Amino acid sequence: MAGRFRVVTDSTSDVSPQWRERYRIEVVPLRVLFGSDAYRDGVDMSSGEFFTRLARADRLPTTSAPSPGDFATVYERLSRECDGVVSIHISGELSGTVEAARVGARSVEGFPVDVIDSRCLTICVAFLCRLAAEAPTREAAVKMVEDRVPRQRILALLDTLKFLEMGGRIGRASAMLGSVLDVKPILGVTDGHVAALDRVRTRSRAIPRLVELLRRDLPVERLAVMHAQAPEAAESIRVQLTQELPDVDVETGEIGAVLGTHVGPGAVGLAYIKRS
Amino acid sequence: MNGQLLKQALLGSLAWLGAHQEEVNRLNVFPVPDGDTGTNMLLTLQSAVEHVRDSQASEVSKIARIAAHDSLMGARGNSGVILSQIFRGFASAVQDKSELTPLELADAFEEAANAAYRAVNKPTEGTILTVARQAGRSAAGAAQQRGATSATVLKAAAAGARAAVERTPTQLRILRDAGVVDAGGYGLQIMLEGMLRSLEEIEAELAKLGPIRPAAQARLDLPEEGWGYCTEFLIHGEGLDVDRIREAIAALGNSVMVAGDSELVKVHVHTDDPSHVITLSSRFGSLDKLNVGDMSTQHRRIREEAGVASDPGPSPPVERRSNGIGLVAVVSGPGLVEIFRSLGVDAIVEGGQSMNPSTQDMLQAVERVPYDEVVLLPNNKNVMMAAKQVDGVTGKTVKVLETHTVPQGIAAVVAFRPEASASENLSAMLAAARHVQTIQVTRAIRDSRSNSVTVKKGDVIALTNDRLRHAGKDYYAVVTEAMNALGAGNYELVTIYCGQDATEADAEGLSAAIQGSFPGLEIEVQSGGQEHYPFILSIE
Repeated sequence: MAGRFRVVTDSTSDVSPQWRERYRIEVVPLRVLFGSDAYRDGVDMSSGEFFTRLARADRLPTTSAPSPGDFATVYERLSRECDGVVSIHISGELSGTVEAARVGARSVEGFPVDVIDSRCLTICVAFLCRLAAEAPTREAAVKMVEDRVPRQRILALLDTLKFLEMGGRIGRASAMLGSVLDVKPILGVTDGHVAALDRVRTRSRAIPRLVELLRRDLPVERLAVMHAQAPEAAESIRVQLTQELPDVDVETGEIGAVLGTHVGPGAVGLAYIKRS
Repeated sequence: MNGQLLKQALLGSLAWLGAHQEEVNRLNVFPVPDGDTGTNMLLTLQSAVEHVRDSQASEVSKIARIAAHDSLMGARGNSGVILSQIFRGFASAVQDKSELTPLELADAFEEAANAAYRAVNKPTEGTILTVARQAGRSAAGAAQQRGATSATVLKAAAAGARAAVERTPTQLRILRDAGVVDAGGYGLQIMLEGMLRSLEEIEAELAKLGPIRPAAQARLDLPEEGWGYCTEFLIHGEGLDVDRIREAIAALGNSVMVAGDSELVKVHVHTDDPSHVITLSSRFGSLDKLNVGDMSTQHRRIREEAGVASDPGPSPPVERRSNGIGLVAVVSGPGLVEIFRSLGVDAIVEGGQSMNPSTQDMLQAVERVPYDEVVLLPNNKNVMMAAKQVDGVTGKTVKVLETHTVPQGIAAVVAFRPEASASENLSAMLAAARHVQTIQVTRAIRDSRSNSVTVKKGDVIALTNDRLRHAGKDYYAVVTEAMNALGAGNYELVTIYCGQDATEADAEGLSAAIQGSFPGLEIEVQSGGQEHYPFILSIE
């Protein structure tokens, strides 16, 4: 098909298998290492298997970005199937993935690859991938995606700080979150940065706070509830949001292994794109 | 009565209260180890005379003013704060007077009682307030008599106080139930009797020896650079900028205290060049009540230096908060201190139950915090009044959050957001504090009957949100009963803060008992290390 392009992303975008198939989105896996055992995120290990293993592990797994070669291999293959690629990835502030994609793209000569730093992660990136895949042309897809990059936001309630601390990813949020008490942090991702927005001791205090934070950003054009091994909590939030925001289609998504390593099981959150 | 006689009377009251401290403490009506009234009053009185002791001022106004100021700074517990207000009322009544006639002395006692009433939101009869007023009335009656002297006025005040103290159980049911008189009122009676004793002694001595000589000054070794002069004054003006004045004064000395409002600012500084301070300050407004004291004749600095040296000071904050709000909490117990610190509290005032910190203690913490706006969490009802005095003696803005228990304080701090405004934070913190239920568990230190709960000494007792609700023979049963009464099954999380007297096995047993009765609750066990309460439970 003339002028046809494909969408590439990485496994942190948490694109569901259904979307992957329907929109023909290529997913390049990051790696998860339990000691010396390396797994390709979402390929060698399902999300469920991952969290089971995480619960049993005495040390946190480490995660690593795909190599430029991993991207080059995918782009190379796609260059024989279509006319170009829009490659959308996790924020460069949080991972080296997007840089690897850029380097990989340069090695495939004469094949146009637009690498976009989403400055976000998880379901937000999945939303961008789906929008791009629905665009009529590659140029239109790039424009649609870039237009939405500043409007995305993630709000996440972690069940515990343990995983974030163990992974050393607390960063700027540490002043507020390092605590003897088991507090549940509410984190926000805006423009690539993770920031601590609030902290609570109980889920019942947290959910209204998440909804309140979302309310400040209304209206939204895309909204998903996401969770790491907490489908019931996610469903109750989804039901609540559907009641409060009847005009918005509230989707549900599952957090994958790489992000799951850092947020830990039990995390729930909201991913959305504000309306312009 | 002149300044030196007042000084001797105050020292006499201190000595006499010191001798009766434990007696006053024993008048505690609650079965829980509480902020001890005798100790609180004694510590407040000690601060009141700290500088009076070294003053040679002959004017009664000067001695009264020093005592009023220092007692406010040193006020501990609610009884201490009321005592400081009594001093304040006395000082304002004798303003500008160098000597008091017996009539003026009686007036000053009456004004002292009035000031104490004004300081309390809802005055309760049968307390120190009633006793202060009766003392004033009796003094006024005696002052009308022919041949009245300071001693006869004081004698009448003490007798009036004693009679009022005896009546307190008829005015307050809680005293009648416990079979005691009011502790604060009794403390005041003791103070008045102590004053009287010293006056009578002095009169007897005078008759024998003639004029009294000033007490010998302690000789102090001056450090090489010298300490300069303790310089104090008031600035009257319009639109005074307290922060700017403090900044200007701070450059000229140390131990700087600049507090007040746009019309009246109080300045206190230790400087080597008082004239420079005075010249500079007169540019802001007109000066009043100027007092320059040679530091070499004062103990003060030594104590301050010692205090500063032992204080590690705040560790520099990792990142300055964008909202410019600092947090100060009153708490004790190594585990609880660590919890408050880790939640981002900038300064801790060690204290709480039965160790009520003074206004000065809290002021120092507030001054140490690198923010101009400070939220102060007393975390104990008996610390509340002293905490509320801090705002009046600092140039910073101090908001006291009504936290009556440690769990309330923790909930409030958890709700604090570094980027939100003061008003947003205050309302969120207060809401969070109110959402938490507190159960404090200890053993009764005396028999008692209150809130229709009968307690025998040694019983396990549980205070739900500061009220004695349950008593029994073992921890598990009493806690389970208290939690049932709260409907704990509808909550999510119970945090157990273990005190220094609770063993690990106690904590595990309690945790298991709670889990058994409330299987849906999440349980977190933390080492609080607090005294008096083996367990403090936070239910949310």
